Amino acid sequence: MVELIPKLKKITPIWWEFQWDEKPSEKLLNTLLALNEWLWDQYGNNLKEARQGYQCLSLIWKKPPSIDIELSFPSIDLNSKKEKATWKIPVCYGGKFGKDLERLCKEKKLTEKEFIELHSKTSYRLDFYGFLPGFMYLSGLDESLSFPRKQFPERVVKAGSVGIGGNQTGIYPIDSPGGWQLIGKTPISVFSPFENPPVKPKVGDQIVFVPITEDEFEQLKNNPFSLQKV
Amino acid sequence: MSKKHSFIQVIKTGPGTKIRDLGRLGYAKFGVPQSGPADLQAVEWINHLLKNHSEDAVLEITQPGLKLQFEAPTLICLAGAKTEIKLNWKTENPSGILNIPTQSLLEVGKFELGAILYLGISQGFQTPIRLGSRSFFKGITEQDFVRAGDQIPYFTFSEKNHSLSNSRVRWNWDYLKKERIRAYPGPEFDLLSEDQKLQFENQSFTISNLKNGMAVQLEELIPNHLGSIYTAPVFPGTVQLTHGGKLICLLQDAQVTGGYPRILQIHPEDLRIIAQKHPNQQIRFQLIST
Repeated sequence: MVELIPKLKKITPIWWEFQWDEKPSEKLLNTLLALNEWLWDQYGNNLKEARQGYQCLSLIWKKPPSIDIELSFPSIDLNSKKEKATWKIPVCYGGKFGKDLERLCKEKKLTEKEFIELHSKTSYRLDFYGFLPGFMYLSGLDESLSFPRKQFPERVVKAGSVGIGGNQTGIYPIDSPGGWQLIGKTPISVFSPFENPPVKPKVGDQIVFVPITEDEFEQLKNNPFSLQKV
Repeated sequence: MSKKHSFIQVIKTGPGTKIRDLGRLGYAKFGVPQSGPADLQAVEWINHLLKNHSEDAVLEITQPGLKLQFEAPTLICLAGAKTEIKLNWKTENPSGILNIPTQSLLEVGKFELGAILYLGISQGFQTPIRLGSRSFFKGITEQDFVRAGDQIPYFTFSEKNHSLSNSRVRWNWDYLKKERIRAYPGPEFDLLSEDQKLQFENQSFTISNLKNGMAVQLEELIPNHLGSIYTAPVFPGTVQLTHGGKLICLLQDAQVTGGYPRILQIHPEDLRIIAQKHPNQQIRFQLIST
Protein backbone atom coordinates (compact mmCIF):
# COMPACT_ATOMS: atom_id res chain seq x y z
CA MET A 1 0.00 0.00 0.00
CA VAL A 2 0.94 3.61 -0.39
CA GLU A 3 2.72 4.52 2.79
CA LEU A 4 1.05 7.88 3.36
CA ILE A 5 -2.64 7.35 2.72
CA PRO A 6 -4.45 10.36 1.25
CA LYS A 7 -8.08 11.38 1.61
CA LEU A 8 -10.04 11.51 -1.62
CA LYS A 9 -12.35 14.50 -2.10
CA LYS A 10 -14.65 14.70 -5.10
CA ILE A 11 -14.94 18.45 -5.66
CA THR A 12 -17.00 18.31 -8.87
CA PRO A 13 -18.06 15.35 -11.02
CA ILE A 14 -14.75 15.60 -12.92
CA TRP A 15 -12.37 17.22 -10.40
CA TRP A 16 -11.11 14.84 -7.72
CA GLU A 17 -8.40 15.67 -5.24
CA PHE A 18 -6.16 13.44 -3.15
CA GLN A 19 -5.15 15.28 0.00
CA TRP A 20 -2.48 14.44 2.54
CA ASP A 21 -2.57 15.87 6.06
CA GLU A 22 1.19 15.87 6.19
CA LYS A 23 3.93 18.49 6.07
CA PRO A 24 5.67 18.71 2.68
CA SER A 25 8.67 16.39 2.62
CA GLU A 26 10.66 14.28 0.21
CA LYS A 27 8.69 11.25 1.36
CA LEU A 28 5.35 12.96 0.66
CA LEU A 29 6.56 14.14 -2.75
CA ASN A 30 7.70 10.64 -3.68
CA THR A 31 4.34 9.22 -2.58
CA LEU A 32 2.54 11.82 -4.65
CA LEU A 33 4.68 11.16 -7.72
CA ALA A 34 4.28 7.39 -7.38
CA LEU A 35 0.51 7.69 -7.03
CA ASN A 36 0.34 10.03 -10.02
CA GLU A 37 2.29 7.58 -12.15
CA TRP A 38 0.11 4.68 -11.04
CA LEU A 39 -3.10 6.62 -11.79
CA TRP A 40 -1.95 7.45 -15.34
CA ASP A 41 -0.90 3.85 -15.80
CA GLN A 42 -4.28 2.53 -14.63
CA TYR A 43 -6.69 5.24 -15.79
CA GLY A 44 -4.70 7.22 -18.37
CA ASN A 45 -7.43 6.85 -21.01
CA ASN A 46 -9.99 8.44 -18.71
CA LEU A 47 -7.77 11.22 -17.40
CA LYS A 48 -7.56 14.68 -18.87
CA GLU A 49 -4.90 16.12 -16.58
CA ALA A 50 -3.29 16.00 -13.16
CA ARG A 51 -1.96 18.95 -11.17
CA GLN A 52 0.25 18.82 -8.12
CA GLY A 53 0.37 20.92 -5.00
CA TYR A 54 2.48 20.48 -1.86
CA GLN A 55 -0.15 18.37 -0.10
CA CYS A 56 -2.50 17.35 -2.86
CA LEU A 57 -2.86 15.84 -6.28
CA SER A 58 -5.75 17.10 -8.42
CA LEU A 59 -7.20 14.96 -11.19
CA ILE A 60 -9.41 16.15 -14.00
CA TRP A 61 -11.28 13.26 -15.58
CA LYS A 62 -12.64 12.88 -19.06
CA LYS A 63 -14.74 10.18 -17.50
CA PRO A 64 -14.37 9.38 -13.81
CA PRO A 65 -14.11 5.69 -12.89
CA SER A 66 -17.13 4.23 -11.12
CA ILE A 67 -15.10 2.10 -8.71
CA ASP A 68 -13.51 3.24 -5.45
CA ILE A 69 -9.99 3.71 -6.73
CA GLU A 70 -8.61 4.45 -3.28
CA LEU A 71 -9.35 0.84 -2.30
CA SER A 72 -7.10 -0.46 -5.02
CA PHE A 73 -3.99 1.57 -4.26
CA PRO A 74 -0.85 -0.17 -5.38
CA SER A 75 2.12 -1.20 -3.32
CA ILE A 76 4.73 1.44 -3.99
CA ASP A 77 8.20 0.81 -2.74
CA LEU A 78 9.48 4.27 -1.96
CA ASN A 79 12.95 2.95 -1.27
CA SER A 80 13.48 1.89 -4.85
CA LYS A 81 13.80 5.53 -5.74
CA LYS A 82 14.05 6.50 -9.35
CA GLU A 83 17.20 8.24 -10.47
CA LYS A 84 16.82 11.97 -9.80
CA ALA A 85 18.82 14.33 -11.96
CA THR A 86 20.63 17.42 -10.66
CA TRP A 87 20.58 20.56 -12.82
CA LYS A 88 23.11 23.41 -12.69
CA ILE A 89 21.75 26.91 -13.03
CA PRO A 90 24.44 29.57 -13.47
CA VAL A 91 23.65 32.78 -11.57
CA CYS A 92 25.38 36.14 -11.56
CA TYR A 93 24.65 37.47 -8.05
CA GLY A 94 24.25 41.07 -6.92
CA GLY A 95 24.95 44.34 -8.71
CA LYS A 96 22.63 45.14 -11.60
CA PHE A 97 21.62 41.47 -11.78
CA GLY A 98 20.36 41.27 -8.20
CA LYS A 99 19.59 44.76 -7.03
CA ASP A 100 18.20 43.74 -3.63
CA LEU A 101 21.19 41.63 -2.59
CA GLU A 102 23.11 44.48 -0.95
CA ARG A 103 20.10 45.47 1.18
CA LEU A 104 19.38 41.86 2.18
CA CYS A 105 23.00 41.37 3.22
CA LYS A 106 22.83 44.48 5.42
CA GLU A 107 19.61 43.30 7.06
CA LYS A 108 21.06 39.81 7.55
CA LYS A 109 24.48 41.11 8.66
CA LEU A 110 26.15 38.87 6.09
CA THR A 111 28.79 39.70 3.51
CA GLU A 112 27.70 39.18 -0.11
CA LYS A 113 30.19 36.31 -0.30
CA GLU A 114 28.62 34.60 2.71
CA PHE A 115 25.12 35.14 1.34
CA ILE A 116 26.03 33.71 -2.07
CA GLU A 117 27.73 30.73 -0.45
CA LEU A 118 24.64 29.96 1.63
CA HIS A 119 22.39 30.25 -1.43
CA SER A 120 24.56 28.20 -3.78
CA LYS A 121 25.68 25.42 -1.43
CA THR A 122 22.17 23.92 -1.24
CA SER A 123 20.71 21.36 -3.57
CA TYR A 124 17.07 22.41 -3.95
CA ARG A 125 14.24 19.94 -4.59
CA LEU A 126 11.85 20.75 -7.43
CA ASP A 127 8.43 20.13 -5.88
CA PHE A 128 6.27 21.18 -8.85
CA TYR A 129 5.72 23.87 -11.46
CA GLY A 130 3.16 26.65 -10.94
CA PHE A 131 2.58 30.42 -10.52
CA LEU A 132 4.07 31.22 -13.99
CA PRO A 133 4.88 29.08 -17.04
CA GLY A 134 8.03 27.18 -16.08
CA PHE A 135 8.20 28.52 -12.51
CA MET A 136 9.81 25.93 -10.21
CA TYR A 137 8.67 25.60 -6.61
CA LEU A 138 11.98 24.81 -4.91
CA SER A 139 12.42 23.69 -1.34
CA GLY A 140 15.53 23.75 0.75
CA LEU A 141 16.31 27.45 1.20
CA ASP A 142 18.67 27.98 4.16
CA GLU A 143 16.50 29.43 6.94
CA SER A 144 18.96 32.26 7.53
CA LEU A 145 18.23 33.60 4.01
CA SER A 146 14.45 33.75 4.23
CA PHE A 147 13.05 37.25 3.76
CA PRO A 148 9.50 38.61 3.34
CA ARG A 149 8.19 39.56 -0.10
CA LYS A 150 8.07 43.23 -1.02
CA GLN A 151 5.01 45.10 0.14
CA PHE A 152 4.43 46.49 -3.35
CA PRO A 153 5.22 44.13 -6.21
CA GLU A 154 7.32 45.53 -9.05
CA ARG A 155 5.60 45.95 -12.39
CA VAL A 156 8.20 44.05 -14.38
CA VAL A 157 10.71 41.53 -13.11
CA LYS A 158 12.90 40.32 -15.98
CA ALA A 159 12.98 36.68 -17.05
CA GLY A 160 15.91 34.88 -15.44
CA SER A 161 15.81 36.91 -12.23
CA VAL A 162 16.54 34.85 -9.13
CA GLY A 163 14.72 35.89 -6.01
CA ILE A 164 13.78 35.12 -2.43
CA GLY A 165 10.19 35.35 -1.21
CA GLY A 166 9.50 34.20 2.35
CA ASN A 167 11.20 30.84 2.81
CA GLN A 168 11.28 30.12 -0.92
CA THR A 169 13.75 30.84 -3.64
CA GLY A 170 13.13 30.65 -7.37
CA ILE A 171 13.69 31.92 -10.88
CA TYR A 172 11.29 34.10 -12.87
CA PRO A 173 10.99 32.10 -16.11
CA ILE A 174 9.33 34.93 -18.08
CA ASP A 175 8.94 38.69 -17.60
CA SER A 176 6.30 39.18 -14.95
CA PRO A 177 5.17 41.47 -12.16
CA GLY A 178 6.68 40.19 -8.94
CA GLY A 179 7.27 40.88 -5.27
CA TRP A 180 10.32 38.78 -4.52
CA GLN A 181 13.67 40.16 -3.35
CA LEU A 182 15.98 39.96 -6.36
CA ILE A 183 19.44 38.57 -5.62
CA GLY A 184 20.77 37.57 -9.04
CA LYS A 185 20.03 36.55 -12.58
CA THR A 186 20.65 33.54 -14.78
CA PRO A 187 21.59 34.05 -18.45
CA ILE A 188 19.92 30.82 -19.53
CA SER A 189 16.22 30.23 -20.20
CA VAL A 190 14.57 27.79 -17.89
CA PHE A 191 11.40 27.88 -20.02
CA SER A 192 11.06 27.86 -23.81
CA PRO A 193 7.71 27.91 -25.64
CA PHE A 194 9.55 26.57 -28.69
CA GLU A 195 10.51 23.29 -27.00
CA ASN A 196 8.27 20.45 -25.99
CA PRO A 197 8.35 19.94 -23.08
CA PRO A 198 9.08 23.64 -22.48
CA VAL A 199 11.16 22.85 -19.37
CA LYS A 200 13.95 20.35 -18.73
CA PRO A 201 14.03 19.50 -15.00
CA LYS A 202 11.40 17.00 -13.86
CA VAL A 203 9.45 17.22 -10.64
CA GLY A 204 11.55 15.55 -7.94
CA ASP A 205 14.87 16.56 -9.56
CA GLN A 206 17.49 18.68 -7.78
CA ILE A 207 18.54 22.21 -8.70
CA VAL A 208 21.84 23.87 -7.76
CA PHE A 209 22.80 27.49 -8.36
CA VAL A 210 26.35 28.02 -9.61
CA PRO A 211 27.81 31.52 -9.08
CA ILE A 212 29.25 33.04 -12.26
CA THR A 213 30.99 36.31 -13.15
CA GLU A 214 29.55 39.07 -15.31
CA ASP A 215 31.81 37.96 -18.21
CA GLU A 216 30.52 34.40 -17.96
CA PHE A 217 26.97 35.77 -17.88
CA GLU A 218 27.54 37.59 -21.19
CA GLN A 219 29.03 34.47 -22.80
CA LEU A 220 26.21 32.15 -21.69
CA LYS A 221 23.54 34.64 -22.74
CA ASN A 222 24.06 33.65 -26.35
CA ASN A 223 23.06 30.06 -25.72
CA PRO A 224 19.87 30.53 -23.79
CA PHE A 225 18.18 27.12 -23.46
CA SER A 226 21.31 25.33 -22.40
CA LEU A 227 20.41 23.98 -18.99
CA GLN A 228 22.94 21.31 -18.03
CA LYS A 229 22.80 18.28 -15.81
CA VAL A 230 25.57 17.90 -13.27
CA MET B 1 -11.03 24.69 -50.50
CA SER B 2 -7.93 26.39 -51.85
CA LYS B 3 -5.72 27.79 -49.16
CA LYS B 4 -4.50 31.26 -49.88
CA HIS B 5 -3.06 33.45 -47.17
CA SER B 6 -4.62 36.80 -46.54
CA PHE B 7 -4.50 39.37 -43.77
CA ILE B 8 -6.73 41.46 -41.63
CA GLN B 9 -5.32 44.93 -41.05
CA VAL B 10 -6.06 46.08 -37.53
CA ILE B 11 -6.90 49.75 -37.93
CA LYS B 12 -8.01 50.39 -34.38
CA THR B 13 -8.56 48.34 -31.23
CA GLY B 14 -9.25 48.89 -27.56
CA PRO B 15 -7.13 47.04 -24.99
CA GLY B 16 -7.67 43.33 -24.36
CA THR B 17 -8.16 41.99 -27.89
CA LYS B 18 -6.63 38.51 -28.18
CA ILE B 19 -6.46 35.42 -30.35
CA ARG B 20 -8.05 32.46 -28.55
CA ASP B 21 -8.60 28.81 -29.22
CA LEU B 22 -9.41 25.96 -26.85
CA GLY B 23 -6.07 26.57 -25.15
CA ARG B 24 -3.20 24.54 -23.77
CA LEU B 25 -4.40 21.30 -22.29
CA GLY B 26 -1.81 19.08 -20.67
CA TYR B 27 0.74 21.85 -20.05
CA ALA B 28 -0.41 22.80 -16.57
CA LYS B 29 2.20 20.42 -15.15
CA PHE B 30 4.81 22.86 -16.52
CA GLY B 31 3.00 25.84 -14.98
CA VAL B 32 1.32 26.88 -18.24
CA PRO B 33 -2.22 28.31 -17.93
CA GLN B 34 -4.99 26.83 -20.04
CA SER B 35 -5.93 30.08 -21.87
CA GLY B 36 -9.08 28.73 -23.46
CA PRO B 37 -12.09 30.97 -24.11
CA ALA B 38 -13.95 32.39 -21.10
CA ASP B 39 -17.21 31.86 -23.03
CA LEU B 40 -16.55 28.40 -24.41
CA GLN B 41 -20.10 27.89 -25.68
CA ALA B 42 -19.86 31.00 -27.87
CA VAL B 43 -16.63 29.77 -29.49
CA GLU B 44 -18.05 26.28 -30.03
CA TRP B 45 -21.17 27.75 -31.65
CA ILE B 46 -19.10 29.98 -33.97
CA ASN B 47 -16.83 27.18 -35.17
CA HIS B 48 -19.81 24.90 -35.65
CA LEU B 49 -21.64 27.43 -37.83
CA LEU B 50 -18.52 28.13 -39.88
CA LYS B 51 -17.99 24.36 -40.35
CA ASN B 52 -14.57 24.84 -38.73
CA HIS B 53 -12.66 22.48 -36.49
CA SER B 54 -13.55 22.96 -32.84
CA GLU B 55 -9.96 24.02 -32.07
CA ASP B 56 -9.83 26.77 -34.73
CA ALA B 57 -8.75 30.17 -33.40
CA VAL B 58 -11.09 33.15 -32.98
CA LEU B 59 -10.69 36.76 -31.91
CA GLU B 60 -11.70 37.74 -28.37
CA ILE B 61 -12.86 41.36 -28.11
CA THR B 62 -13.60 43.11 -24.81
CA GLN B 63 -13.83 46.81 -25.77
CA PRO B 64 -15.80 48.85 -28.29
CA GLY B 65 -13.93 50.67 -31.03
CA LEU B 66 -12.47 47.77 -33.01
CA LYS B 67 -11.90 48.46 -36.71
CA LEU B 68 -10.71 45.69 -39.03
CA GLN B 69 -9.97 45.81 -42.74
CA PHE B 70 -10.28 42.44 -44.55
CA GLU B 71 -8.03 42.08 -47.61
CA ALA B 72 -9.81 39.15 -49.23
CA PRO B 73 -13.25 37.51 -49.13
CA THR B 74 -14.19 35.22 -46.27
CA LEU B 75 -16.97 34.33 -43.87
CA ILE B 76 -16.96 35.45 -40.27
CA CYS B 77 -19.26 34.59 -37.39
CA LEU B 78 -20.05 36.51 -34.19
CA ALA B 79 -21.30 35.34 -30.79
CA GLY B 80 -21.00 36.18 -27.10
CA ALA B 81 -21.74 39.80 -26.17
CA LYS B 82 -24.43 41.75 -28.04
CA THR B 83 -22.68 44.64 -29.77
CA GLU B 84 -23.20 47.20 -32.49
CA ILE B 85 -21.73 45.78 -35.73
CA LYS B 86 -21.13 47.68 -38.95
CA LEU B 87 -19.88 46.15 -42.17
CA ASN B 88 -18.87 48.77 -44.73
CA TRP B 89 -20.82 51.40 -42.74
CA LYS B 90 -24.01 49.34 -42.78
CA THR B 91 -25.47 47.97 -39.54
CA GLU B 92 -25.53 44.18 -39.45
CA ASN B 93 -26.81 41.37 -37.23
CA PRO B 94 -24.67 41.28 -34.10
CA SER B 95 -24.58 37.47 -34.14
CA GLY B 96 -24.26 34.70 -36.68
CA ILE B 97 -22.52 34.50 -40.04
CA LEU B 98 -21.51 37.52 -42.10
CA ASN B 99 -20.30 37.32 -45.67
CA ILE B 100 -17.17 39.48 -46.07
CA PRO B 101 -16.42 40.77 -49.59
CA THR B 102 -12.93 41.91 -50.65
CA GLN B 103 -11.60 45.02 -48.87
CA SER B 104 -14.35 45.16 -46.26
CA LEU B 105 -14.30 47.33 -43.17
CA LEU B 106 -15.79 45.80 -40.05
CA GLU B 107 -16.50 47.94 -37.00
CA VAL B 108 -17.44 46.83 -33.50
CA GLY B 109 -19.23 49.58 -31.60
CA LYS B 110 -21.10 49.74 -28.31
CA PHE B 111 -21.44 46.65 -26.10
CA GLU B 112 -25.17 46.50 -25.38
CA LEU B 113 -25.12 43.29 -23.38
CA GLY B 114 -22.19 41.26 -22.09
CA ALA B 115 -18.47 41.96 -21.96
CA ILE B 116 -16.78 39.57 -24.41
CA LEU B 117 -17.46 39.28 -28.13
CA TYR B 118 -16.00 36.44 -30.19
CA LEU B 119 -15.29 36.79 -33.88
CA GLY B 120 -14.57 33.58 -35.76
CA ILE B 121 -13.44 33.23 -39.34
CA SER B 122 -13.68 30.48 -41.91
CA GLN B 123 -10.81 28.01 -41.24
CA GLY B 124 -9.70 29.98 -38.18
CA PHE B 125 -7.02 32.65 -37.65
CA GLN B 126 -3.53 31.48 -38.57
CA THR B 127 -1.24 33.05 -35.95
CA PRO B 128 1.63 30.77 -34.80
CA ILE B 129 0.99 27.76 -32.55
CA ARG B 130 3.00 27.67 -29.33
CA LEU B 131 2.69 24.71 -26.98
CA GLY B 132 -0.28 23.32 -28.84
CA SER B 133 -2.32 26.52 -29.04
CA ARG B 134 -2.60 29.91 -30.74
CA SER B 135 -4.07 31.59 -27.61
CA PHE B 136 -2.12 34.75 -26.84
CA PHE B 137 -0.23 34.62 -23.57
CA LYS B 138 2.67 36.82 -22.53
CA GLY B 139 5.92 34.87 -22.49
CA ILE B 140 4.51 32.04 -24.62
CA THR B 141 3.32 33.72 -27.83
CA GLU B 142 5.26 36.61 -29.35
CA GLN B 143 2.24 38.85 -28.82
CA ASP B 144 0.17 39.33 -25.70
CA PHE B 145 -2.54 41.49 -27.31
CA VAL B 146 -3.72 42.52 -30.76
CA ARG B 147 -2.68 46.12 -31.43
CA ALA B 148 -3.43 48.76 -34.07
CA GLY B 149 -1.21 48.19 -37.10
CA ASP B 150 -1.10 44.40 -36.64
CA GLN B 151 -1.81 42.01 -39.49
CA ILE B 152 -3.73 38.87 -38.58
CA PRO B 153 -3.34 36.00 -41.06
CA TYR B 154 -6.29 33.93 -42.33
CA PHE B 155 -7.12 31.75 -45.34
CA THR B 156 -9.38 33.19 -47.99
CA PHE B 157 -11.34 30.85 -50.28
CA SER B 158 -12.36 30.96 -53.90
CA GLU B 159 -15.73 29.18 -53.96
CA LYS B 160 -18.52 31.58 -54.78
CA ASN B 161 -21.38 29.42 -53.64
CA HIS B 162 -20.49 28.99 -50.01
CA SER B 163 -23.62 27.99 -48.17
CA LEU B 164 -25.15 30.71 -46.08
CA SER B 165 -28.04 28.58 -44.95
CA ASN B 166 -27.16 29.15 -41.31
CA SER B 167 -26.94 32.87 -41.59
CA ARG B 168 -30.29 33.52 -39.99
CA VAL B 169 -29.47 31.51 -36.87
CA ARG B 170 -29.38 33.87 -33.90
CA TRP B 171 -27.25 33.54 -30.81
CA ASN B 172 -29.33 33.39 -27.64
CA TRP B 173 -28.24 36.27 -25.38
CA ASP B 174 -30.42 35.36 -22.38
CA TYR B 175 -27.49 34.06 -20.31
CA LEU B 176 -25.94 37.54 -20.35
CA LYS B 177 -28.78 38.74 -18.07
CA LYS B 178 -28.53 35.86 -15.62
CA GLU B 179 -27.20 36.54 -12.13
CA ARG B 180 -27.35 33.07 -10.62
CA ILE B 181 -24.14 31.09 -10.80
CA ARG B 182 -24.02 27.45 -9.79
CA ALA B 183 -20.97 26.52 -7.73
CA TYR B 184 -19.65 23.44 -5.96
CA PRO B 185 -18.08 23.78 -2.51
CA GLY B 186 -14.32 24.00 -3.09
CA PRO B 187 -11.64 21.92 -1.33
CA GLU B 188 -11.37 24.39 1.58
CA PHE B 189 -15.07 25.30 1.85
CA ASP B 190 -15.36 23.29 5.07
CA LEU B 191 -12.89 25.63 6.79
CA LEU B 192 -15.59 28.33 6.76
CA SER B 193 -18.00 28.85 9.65
CA GLU B 194 -21.70 28.08 9.17
CA ASP B 195 -22.41 31.83 9.08
CA GLN B 196 -19.86 32.39 6.35
CA LYS B 197 -21.24 29.49 4.34
CA LEU B 198 -24.72 31.01 4.53
CA GLN B 199 -23.39 34.32 3.30
CA PHE B 200 -22.59 32.71 -0.03
CA GLU B 201 -26.16 31.65 -0.54
CA ASN B 202 -27.92 34.73 0.77
CA GLN B 203 -25.85 37.58 -0.52
CA SER B 204 -25.45 39.27 -3.89
CA PHE B 205 -21.92 40.03 -5.01
CA THR B 206 -20.78 42.93 -7.16
CA ILE B 207 -18.22 42.60 -9.95
CA SER B 208 -15.35 45.00 -9.17
CA ASN B 209 -13.34 46.82 -11.81
CA LEU B 210 -10.43 44.47 -11.13
CA LYS B 211 -11.30 42.14 -13.97
CA ASN B 212 -9.08 40.71 -16.69
CA GLY B 213 -8.42 37.39 -18.44
CA MET B 214 -6.86 35.94 -15.29
CA ALA B 215 -9.48 36.73 -12.68
CA VAL B 216 -12.37 38.86 -11.54
CA GLN B 217 -12.48 40.26 -8.01
CA LEU B 218 -15.78 40.75 -6.18
CA GLU B 219 -16.49 43.88 -4.10
CA GLU B 220 -18.11 42.42 -0.99
CA LEU B 221 -15.81 41.04 1.68
CA ILE B 222 -16.22 37.79 3.59
CA PRO B 223 -14.41 38.47 6.88
CA ASN B 224 -12.44 35.36 7.74
CA HIS B 225 -9.60 34.04 9.83
CA LEU B 226 -8.29 31.63 7.25
CA GLY B 227 -4.59 31.87 6.56
CA SER B 228 -2.74 30.71 3.49
CA ILE B 229 -2.79 27.10 2.45
CA TYR B 230 0.14 25.13 1.13
CA THR B 231 0.24 25.98 -2.59
CA ALA B 232 -2.36 23.83 -4.33
CA PRO B 233 -3.87 23.41 -7.82
CA VAL B 234 -6.45 25.95 -9.03
CA PHE B 235 -8.53 25.98 -12.20
CA PRO B 236 -10.62 28.40 -14.24
CA GLY B 237 -13.75 28.78 -12.10
CA THR B 238 -11.98 28.40 -8.74
CA VAL B 239 -13.09 31.06 -6.23
CA GLN B 240 -10.33 31.96 -3.76
CA LEU B 241 -10.75 33.78 -0.45
CA THR B 242 -7.87 36.10 0.50
CA HIS B 243 -6.76 37.06 4.03
CA GLY B 244 -8.46 40.39 3.54
CA GLY B 245 -11.77 38.66 2.81
CA LYS B 246 -11.75 39.34 -0.93
CA LEU B 247 -13.20 36.79 -3.31
CA ILE B 248 -11.22 36.16 -6.49
CA CYS B 249 -12.89 34.15 -9.27
CA LEU B 250 -10.23 32.69 -11.53
CA LEU B 251 -10.74 32.77 -15.28
CA GLN B 252 -9.07 31.12 -18.27
CA ASP B 253 -5.61 32.71 -18.01
CA ALA B 254 -5.29 32.06 -14.28
CA GLN B 255 -2.10 30.55 -12.96
CA VAL B 256 -2.25 26.81 -12.32
CA THR B 257 -1.54 26.88 -8.58
CA GLY B 258 -2.45 29.22 -5.75
CA GLY B 259 -1.94 29.78 -2.04
CA TYR B 260 -5.36 31.09 -0.98
CA PRO B 261 -8.12 28.77 0.28
CA ARG B 262 -10.25 27.47 -2.60
CA ILE B 263 -13.79 28.13 -1.44
CA LEU B 264 -15.96 27.44 -4.50
CA GLN B 265 -15.70 25.89 -7.93
CA ILE B 266 -18.04 27.47 -10.47
CA HIS B 267 -20.01 25.07 -12.65
CA PRO B 268 -18.26 24.98 -16.05
CA GLU B 269 -21.42 25.95 -17.92
CA ASP B 270 -21.89 29.03 -15.70
CA LEU B 271 -18.33 30.35 -15.88
CA ARG B 272 -19.31 32.39 -18.93
CA ILE B 273 -22.02 34.19 -16.95
CA ILE B 274 -19.48 35.77 -14.62
CA ALA B 275 -16.90 36.29 -17.41
CA GLN B 276 -19.49 38.22 -19.43
CA LYS B 277 -20.33 40.64 -16.57
CA HIS B 278 -19.19 44.26 -16.42
CA PRO B 279 -17.95 45.99 -13.25
CA ASN B 280 -20.84 46.97 -10.91
CA GLN B 281 -23.09 44.16 -12.17
CA GLN B 282 -24.37 41.63 -9.66
CA ILE B 283 -24.10 37.87 -9.30
CA ARG B 284 -25.43 35.34 -6.80
CA PHE B 285 -24.01 31.95 -5.98
CA GLN B 286 -26.15 28.86 -5.80
CA LEU B 287 -24.37 26.02 -4.02
CA ILE B 288 -24.80 22.63 -5.62
CA SER B 289 -23.48 19.20 -4.68
CA THR B 290 -21.70 16.63 -6.81
